[in-house]
Amino acid sequence: MTHRTLFAALALSTVLPVATLAQEAAAPEPKRGGTAIFHLVTEQGVLNPALRASTGVYQITGKIMEPLIDLTYDGPVGVLATDWSSSEDGLQITFKLREGVNWHDGEPFTCDDVAFSAMEFWKPLLNYSSTLQANLESVDCPDPHTAVFNYSKPMPLALMVAAMPDLGHPVPKHLYEGTDYQRNEHNTAPVGTGPFVFREYQRGQHIIAERNEDYWRGEEFPYLDRVIWRFIPDKSAAAAAIEAGEIHGSGFIGIPMADMIRLGEDPRFSVGTKGYENNVAHSTIEFNLRNEILANPEVRKAIYHGLDLQFAIDSIMRGFAQEGRGPIPSTGGINYTDDVTTYPYDPDLARQMLDEAGYPVGNNGIRFTLRHRSAPYGEYTQLWGEYFAQAMREIGIQVDIVTNDTPAFLNGVYRDHDFDTANGWHQFRSDPAVSTTVWLRSGTPPGQPWTNQFGYQSAEMDALIDAAAHELDPAVRADLYHQIQRLEMIDLPVIFAIEHPFIGIYNNVLMNHTNTPRWESSSWYDLWLNQ
Amino acid sequence: MSLDPDLATALVEPSELPPEEPGRLAVFWRRFRRNRAAVFGLVLFVLVVAAALLADVITPGDPLRRVAQPLTDPFTNPVAPLGTDQLGRDILAGLMHGARVSLMIGVVATLISVGIGIVIGAVAGYWGGWVDDVLMRFTDAFQTVPSFILLLALVAIMGASLESIIFGIGIVSWTSPARMVRAEFMSLRHREFVEAARSLGQRPVATIFREILPNALPPVIVFASVIMATSILLESALAFLALGDPNHASWGNMIGQGRSVLRSDWYVAVLPGIAILLTVLSFSLMGEGLNEALNPRQKK
Amino acid sequence: MRMPPILAYALRRLLQAVPTILIVMVGTFLLMQLAPGDMVDALVGDMGGADAAFIARMRQEYGLDQPVWVQLMRYMGKLATFDFGWSYVYEQPVSTLLLDRLPVTLALMAASLTLAFVGGVALGAWAGRHAYSAADNLISTLGLVFYAMPNFFLALLMILLFSIHLGWLPVGGLRDIAAFHTGWRLWLDMAIHMIMPVAALSLIYLAFYMRLMRSSVIEVSELDFVRTARAKGAPEGRIMRHHIMRNAMLPVVTLLGLQFATVLGGSVVIETMFALPGIAQLAYNSVIRRDLNTLMGIVFLSSLLVIAVNFITDLIYARLDSRIELR
Repeated sequence: MTHRTLFAALALSTVLPVATLAQEAAAPEPKRGGTAIFHLVTEQGVLNPALRASTGVYQITGKIMEPLIDLTYDGPVGVLATDWSSSEDGLQITFKLREGVNWHDGEPFTCDDVAFSAMEFWKPLLNYSSTLQANLESVDCPDPHTAVFNYSKPMPLALMVAAMPDLGHPVPKHLYEGTDYQRNEHNTAPVGTGPFVFREYQRGQHIIAERNEDYWRGEEFPYLDRVIWRFIPDKSAAAAAIEAGEIHGSGFIGIPMADMIRLGEDPRFSVGTKGYENNVAHSTIEFNLRNEILANPEVRKAIYHGLDLQFAIDSIMRGFAQEGRGPIPSTGGINYTDDVTTYPYDPDLARQMLDEAGYPVGNNGIRFTLRHRSAPYGEYTQLWGEYFAQAMREIGIQVDIVTNDTPAFLNGVYRDHDFDTANGWHQFRSDPAVSTTVWLRSGTPPGQPWTNQFGYQSAEMDALIDAAAHELDPAVRADLYHQIQRLEMIDLPVIFAIEHPFIGIYNNVLMNHTNTPRWESSSWYDLWLNQ
Repeated sequence: MSLDPDLATALVEPSELPPEEPGRLAVFWRRFRRNRAAVFGLVLFVLVVAAALLADVITPGDPLRRVAQPLTDPFTNPVAPLGTDQLGRDILAGLMHGARVSLMIGVVATLISVGIGIVIGAVAGYWGGWVDDVLMRFTDAFQTVPSFILLLALVAIMGASLESIIFGIGIVSWTSPARMVRAEFMSLRHREFVEAARSLGQRPVATIFREILPNALPPVIVFASVIMATSILLESALAFLALGDPNHASWGNMIGQGRSVLRSDWYVAVLPGIAILLTVLSFSLMGEGLNEALNPRQKK
Repeated sequence: MRMPPILAYALRRLLQAVPTILIVMVGTFLLMQLAPGDMVDALVGDMGGADAAFIARMRQEYGLDQPVWVQLMRYMGKLATFDFGWSYVYEQPVSTLLLDRLPVTLALMAASLTLAFVGGVALGAWAGRHAYSAADNLISTLGLVFYAMPNFFLALLMILLFSIHLGWLPVGGLRDIAAFHTGWRLWLDMAIHMIMPVAALSLIYLAFYMRLMRSSVIEVSELDFVRTARAKGAPEGRIMRHHIMRNAMLPVVTLLGLQFATVLGGSVVIETMFALPGIAQLAYNSVIRRDLNTLMGIVFLSSLLVIAVNFITDLIYARLDSRIELR
């Protein structure tokens, strides 16, 4: 069975979803009321986005707690902030805060909350953010609705703005001050300013949030009465629940790819990558340069030439993907360039390069053997690892896959460096400085996931990364990131092989879904049910 | 469950055994053959073994390599007569080579578990007393922990390689054989032929292995077919939770991965599912036949 | 002064259970120390990364920087006062977590085992009495097929048939959340949600007990006392009830006790497939996320359960077989 034509059709439809077009043509009046039910694969221990920076947390808390800035298709838009600016020297960033906003318990939202959150959570406690805010010295509140962030080194405004949708969630100071932040009861029963009020969290079953009757956007918002998230760990079962109409939507590839394709043909559902432009990931092949064979860049390039990425995109990602061009995805805006060295599929060239590198085929048909760790992140990551092994055998490299659960995988790759190659995926978080370049920078201690496990050390790369992180001029900054991409595509400590947004499936009774580039994490104040 | 007492007493002098061997086998076969289902099981088993042996002849080469377009339907492409999976791997080759893996899992895991079971059961049953108490508390402890959860823990520790999966299954399955062997030993250790051997000055180890064990084995042999069957099912359950070994074509892995395309390309998961079903069925049927053949009390 | 024998027996069994549970708890603790990676690795993995200082602080806070024996002593000390500790993965006391989830698994297992036992004994007895008839062959063959089928495969097929194709039963979950049922409607709703999981979990055991019961009935029917009863002209129904069933059920009852832990293990897959928030799925998650406190709590609880169930089956056994005395 060939799905190629179907892939093409679907790839097109993701750019312009048919459902959305129909929706705009008819433009029905939004209706109030109803309960929208969504699927989640994994449960969250903590429901506090100021304590845990992860998409799984935002998916839920994004409806309850709001960030200073959110991202729309028209660019950054103020949510709890209304305006932002930077001083000439980049050492001060000032936010004007929205007035007339109340926390769900009725207390007003002010600069005190922002200052408290930044100094007590974003800088010391929040993963990723602690690197971003390392140079934050203090936050001043000249008036209740102005927050001034003071930095000891220049902070590019573009970086700050790009990071805020994820890393800029204030918590209510009056509920946290003087408590043990890690054990505060509101970490699992969040209080925010968002369109929905947390109601209950039944572990292993569901989370319910209900309409905020006092929402600052006005009394017509939100449209829905209630949002429910159901935890269904088995993706096939989740697909069945969607098909049976028990659930309205599932994000972040929450059901098997084959079911995405199948249900995508069903007029009841919309399937696509729209709404995930800000949640793009790379499926990767990571090298351990401590291995003397892999230390040879020609071998790494040969391996790249041995990968039939179009096949992998068609068979594993079912066409919802494209070939990667280094650490920054094509959705990365001005920081992205496609002017990089590429390594098209050419198994004969790969074999020839390996021969020339001094690794001829032995009597057993094998040049050398690699111990490969495949990340246990579900169906497509597993298949991607198996495809890598399959492709390598074709050019005479034996790949033995080591399968482990997540802690053992992270430990084996990032602490013990006990691997030759590894595969997984790496998410791009709005700005290259947030997590992507951290991965390539040398000098991080072992045992820290998603930091340089390759043993890659390049003075040139380190200098570029450091310069870009504090460069204030957006154009110069972008040029530095282009250089980083080009250098990475030559040094190849990691192959950013396939770039793919995540994929969502939504029942067409949902209206206004996937209308922002980080929709699953957004507040859904305008989501409504047409039934 | 034990052999006829008269047959057992006939075994007092091991030197008298050899001339009886062919007779016993013949008797065994006659009884086994009487159960038609068991013979059907044997035929199935022979087919599975044949698939395992002929895997390299009928489907030569690496079963994990890409041979055709992914998700080719069965009977449409002579290169992959039973179709291909998501990575274009030949399902027929997977089934043939998977027979090896499944048989290996079944046989080796069973040997490990029965081996441990025999040692612990024999020691506990033969010596009794505090040795028995200690070993039985240990066995209790093992039996108290849900075996699949223990297996998950073992695989989490050792990684999901075929070796550790087999070892893990062996480790979680020994308690029942141990209890059986112990029970048989307890009932046999005071029989005349054992007492006789002991009074002749035979060392305990020799008595255990030469006098008691052969008589205690039949129920364990029957139970071994149950362990073999469960081993294969346990491996597939591990693969269901994505803890299979991807370096080998195993039926469990094939179902585990195939079920995500079950609705559109059913054959990817269903064919290995049928293979598992038939193999487990063959073990069960043969086990039943063995039981009737070795346990004449139940003969019709 | 003298205790009734049943109490003395219960006390003896309880004393025997103490070392068993100790072995299980210490064994589980030490075993999990061998696993590569710890709870912090799992949490950081969930978060998508964190920096070194953050990671070190988490380890310190959770006491993972202490030597293993210190951690073990601390844990056992707390356990002695029935304090199960805190689950850092779920951010809840383990006791709350267990109390929340135990009823689901208990209901699933109780329903499955009852169905398997009653159905298996009844079908097996019937098949045994009509051994080698066409109906017996059919039942036995079906039994073998169910016995040979991986339970997740059966579950998958059932979901396809009953949820998607026919639309009769919900795909999974414990109840229809959006319906906000209360009272008897809630119970009915939950019962409907349990139909498929119970069927998927119990069919393999039903098939197993049926086969055991069938051969047991055949075996007992040949025994002297049954022949005697028959020779005396006792009605066939009476012989079946009083002589055959009573004795034929013995091995099934024994197995029921022994298999309790196995069934709990089998629930892992079923609870995962049907999104049931029980302790079996929790145990699996605790293993792969290295949530030691939760895993230890589950193991402790399941040990108690297994011991209790075995005690009960021993009592039943003694009642069924007058030759056995409580020792």
